[in-house]
This record gives sequence, C-alpha cells and structure tokens, in this order.
Amino acid sequence: MNALIKAEFRRLAATRMWRWALVTAVLLGGGLVGLMAVVGPENFSPPMPGLDTEEGVLSVLGMLGFTVFVPAALGTLAMTAEYRHRTATYTFLFAPRRWQVLTAKLVTFGGAGLVYGLVLAVSAGAGFYGALAARGVTPGLAAGTVWELLLRLALTMAVYTLLGVAMGALIRNMTVALAVVIGYLYMGELILMMIPGVNLVYPLLPGGATASLTSFTYVAEAVAGELATSPVSLLSPVGGGLLLAGYALVAAAVAVLVPMRRDVV
Amino acid sequence: MNAYGIEVTGLTKRFGEVTAVDSVSFAVEPGVVTGFLGPNGAGKTTTMRMILGLVTPTEGTATIGGRRYTELDRPTRTVGAVLDAGAFHPNHSARDHLRIYCAMGGHPDSRVDELLDRLGLAEHAHRRTRTFSTGMKQRLSLATALLGDPSVLLLDEPSNGLDPEGIAWLRTFLRELAAEGRTVLVSSHVLSEVQQIVDDVVVIRRGRMVAAGPLEEIARRRPPTVLVRSPDAERLRALILDGTRGPDAAVATAEDGSLRVSGLTAAETADLAAAAGLRVHGLGAEDSSLEQLFLDLTQDRAGQAGQYEGDAR
Repeated sequence: MNALIKAEFRRLAATRMWRWALVTAVLLGGGLVGLMAVVGPENFSPPMPGLDTEEGVLSVLGMLGFTVFVPAALGTLAMTAEYRHRTATYTFLFAPRRWQVLTAKLVTFGGAGLVYGLVLAVSAGAGFYGALAARGVTPGLAAGTVWELLLRLALTMAVYTLLGVAMGALIRNMTVALAVVIGYLYMGELILMMIPGVNLVYPLLPGGATASLTSFTYVAEAVAGELATSPVSLLSPVGGGLLLAGYALVAAAVAVLVPMRRDVV
Repeated sequence: MNAYGIEVTGLTKRFGEVTAVDSVSFAVEPGVVTGFLGPNGAGKTTTMRMILGLVTPTEGTATIGGRRYTELDRPTRTVGAVLDAGAFHPNHSARDHLRIYCAMGGHPDSRVDELLDRLGLAEHAHRRTRTFSTGMKQRLSLATALLGDPSVLLLDEPSNGLDPEGIAWLRTFLRELAAEGRTVLVSSHVLSEVQQIVDDVVVIRRGRMVAAGPLEEIARRRPPTVLVRSPDAERLRALILDGTRGPDAAVATAEDGSLRVSGLTAAETADLAAAAGLRVHGLGAEDSSLEQLFLDLTQDRAGQAGQYEGDAR
C-alpha cells in the first residue's frame, strides 16, 4: 500500500498541475477575499453587511465555499486520466488488486487537497487581514473564529478533492464526472429542494453538509424561510465534514465494485 | 532465474454475442520463447489480457507458475508485459513514467537508470512521452515491463508500427532476453517476424486453437501438398473428396486456379487423374515455406479446420 501511495505522489509531482493548483489557491484565497475586503461588502451591489459585522465576515469568507469546484476538478483527474491515457493497463498490471489503487489515490489526493485548502485558507486570511488593516476596519469576528472558519474551509477543499477522486473513478470520464459534481452542487440540490419534503433532509444532503462545514448558510436560510417553521438546523461542522467524506467513500466503494472491475481492453 | 511457465486451460471470453476466445488451452514452457500467432482479430490480445488479469475470462483459467496473475504477491517481479505501446501520460517524461511504476512495483529506483541505459533511452529520459516516436514508445514500454526483472515476459505485437530497423533491434533484444533464461510469449500476425526467435508456437484463428507445439514439429506434421493444373479441375476435386481417399485428403484452389491437394502424394494424385481420364497440364509438389504453413493454418480452407492440431503442451 505504501508503494502505491509513493507511486501516486510521484505521479502527482510529475506534471505541472500541482503548481498551477497552488497558484490558483493563492489567487482564489488571497486574491478573491483580499479584493472583496478591499472593496468592502457594504459597497457591493446590492450592498451587503460590512466587514465590521459578524454577518459580513461570514459571507465574504463563506464565498470561498463556492470554489470547491477547483479541488473537485483536480480530484476527478486521479482516475479519469488513467483511462484517458490508457495507463490504467500498466497501473492494474502493477497493482492487480484494484481497490488498492483507488485507496492510494484517495490518500494521496486527500493530502494534496488539504495542502491546497491550507494554502487557500492562509492566503485568504492574509488577504483578509491585510485589506482590513489597510482600510482601518476592525473585523466583526474574533481572530480565533476567523481562523477556525478558514481551517474548516481548508478541510472542505480536501473533502471535495476526495469527492472528485471518487466520482471520477465512478464515472470514468473527467468532463462528465466534473459536470455531475458541480452541476449537483450548484443546481441539482436546489432543484431537489423544490420537491416537497426533500427540504426536511437538506442537512443530510451534500449541499447541507457543505453548508455546515463552511457556515455559509444562504440556502439553509432560504429553506427555512420556505418551510416557515423552525429554522433548519444544520449538522455540526465535524458532522458535516464526516458526512461529506462518507459520501466520497460510498462513491469510491461503488466505483471499486462496478466500473473498476470492468475489463481493461 | 526462476523459470515459470504459463498454463492456459479452457480459456473462453465472450463479449455479448461475440466469442472472442473459445476454450483455448495451451502451455508455455519455462525458459522457452513461444510465438503466439494468428491473424488480426483472432483473439491473441484478449487471451494475453486474460492471462494478466486485465480481462476476466468467461470460462477457464490462466496461471503463471501455478498461480493466477492477480494472486501473485508482487506480480511485476514475476511477469512483465508489453501490451499497449502508446499508453503513457503525454506530459510525463520517460523517467517520470518509469519512476512512478518502479515505486508502484516496489522495485529499487536504480532500475530506472539501468533500463533507460539498456533500452537506449538515457538521452531522451527527460523528454515528454508525447514527443516520442513509435519506436521510442515501444522501448519505454519494454523498460516498464522489465522494471521488476521478471522471469516471464508477455509481448503483444511488439513490432507493430516499427520500421525495419526497429524490428531488427527488437528481434536482437528479444533474443537477448530469451538467452537470459526468461519465458517469453510473443504474439504476432506475421510469422516471419518471430520465426527466427521462437522455439514453440501457439496458433489461433477466430478464437480457436489450430496448432500448438514446437515449430519444427508442426512444420514436419504438415502433410505434403501437390499443385495440380487441370482443365478438369472441378471433376478432379470431386474425385479427391469422394470420401474414399482417407481423412486427410483436402483440396483448395490456388490463386491461379490450380488445385492445391493435400493428403495425397504427387504420384497418387497423378494416378487418380489418369484412371479417371482427366487431363492434367501440370503437377508438382509444392514448396512449403513456414509462411505458407502459417497461412494454411490461419486461413479458411474447406475441411482444414483443426487439421494441424498438435498436442496442447
């Protein structure tokens, strides 16, 4: 197993993809958050609560939750590239127990996704505090809470990398796998919400789990508004993270049992 | 070097309605070079992929040294395979590719440079594989197969796409590998490409075995063939196939319209024609090259199927 993980790290390091991924993390983290903080959400159109309020800080940092498509996309490459370039033949010759191949990829990409998330989070924190200092604004949220939220966002990136790996292994085609992950996240779940009753299980759906992890609760509030009852209570961040990882593992298990057992011709 | 053989028993693969491989059984002797011959589409690739656990057989088994490929502890230390010479990540360098699979197989990293040297790729080690010629890809594929210094090698049409120089190089290289005592199974749709290096052959056609055994023995078993030129060809054919000439009697039509008779000697054929009052304008024993034997084995000819079936060793 260690041999397989070592091989996957070498595979990851062999192309320039990881360098571009880290550049992207800095651009999205430091760049996007820094830009929003410099402009100030109170100057958005329509205006949003300023960064001197808790709500303002949460919504600006929570925007990073929308960038999970980047690590998800990187994750889908793990297995789909093997099929696309037909290296799956070599890989399954060197590791005939195919579940081990996917496990090694999950471990490797999970680690890489966490590094991506940490770079994103640290650069976002730097951009956030840098911009606020430049503008002389006092943030509406304590530093400890801000960094905890950023850490949760880093974990979200890692978990979405895993989801990407698993969905790529399941679907075998990178574009389709990515379309499914992103399409579901940005559209599918909102459509599901329209089915009566489904909104009750929202906290257990991937989008709800993501919201609990990122504290970006726009959809949860909309759901609660529609139900016009008690507010929907999301899972704890840890629970949300574990649930999302669980979705990834289920997808990976199905991938091992069905598509990865197919003949390699 | 531990010599392992390959044992294939009743191997069958159906893809939906199509039977690609139909209960094929043969053995590849340890330390021997075996040619796996048959026209394109005969089922060679599918058979090799079943031996290597990449394709699951519908029926039957294939073992290497008594164990299935997927049951081998570190398979690439026992078996190396060259299957799909173009299958590299286009942005990986030759060295990257070898380092990845060296790690995956648990082989020492020193193998990477050894093999880059041995296959003449050292100066191209840092080039991306997308810039590689077919010959270089084939060498990289061979290097990958040899990472674990395996005693068994399976090569699927390794000379496909190579220029004559590349084919000559490959032949020399395979002879070297065989001289080191490795068991080699090399497939080809052209006998002459492997004829000089194989000891044994396994011949399949349309998924079925037609011959297996030492090449010399199969060539010897080939019945004599007589070429007859006759304006009464159709009557002569009917006469030969009337069922009284023994089970081996067979007739095919050669390209120029003459008959190619097997199972009868030249004298028997001439006497038969004379007795029936049929005209014969030319008659002679046919030159039997191995290439002709291979064509005979792999082409459809009435009453010929299974005629050369050797013992499945």
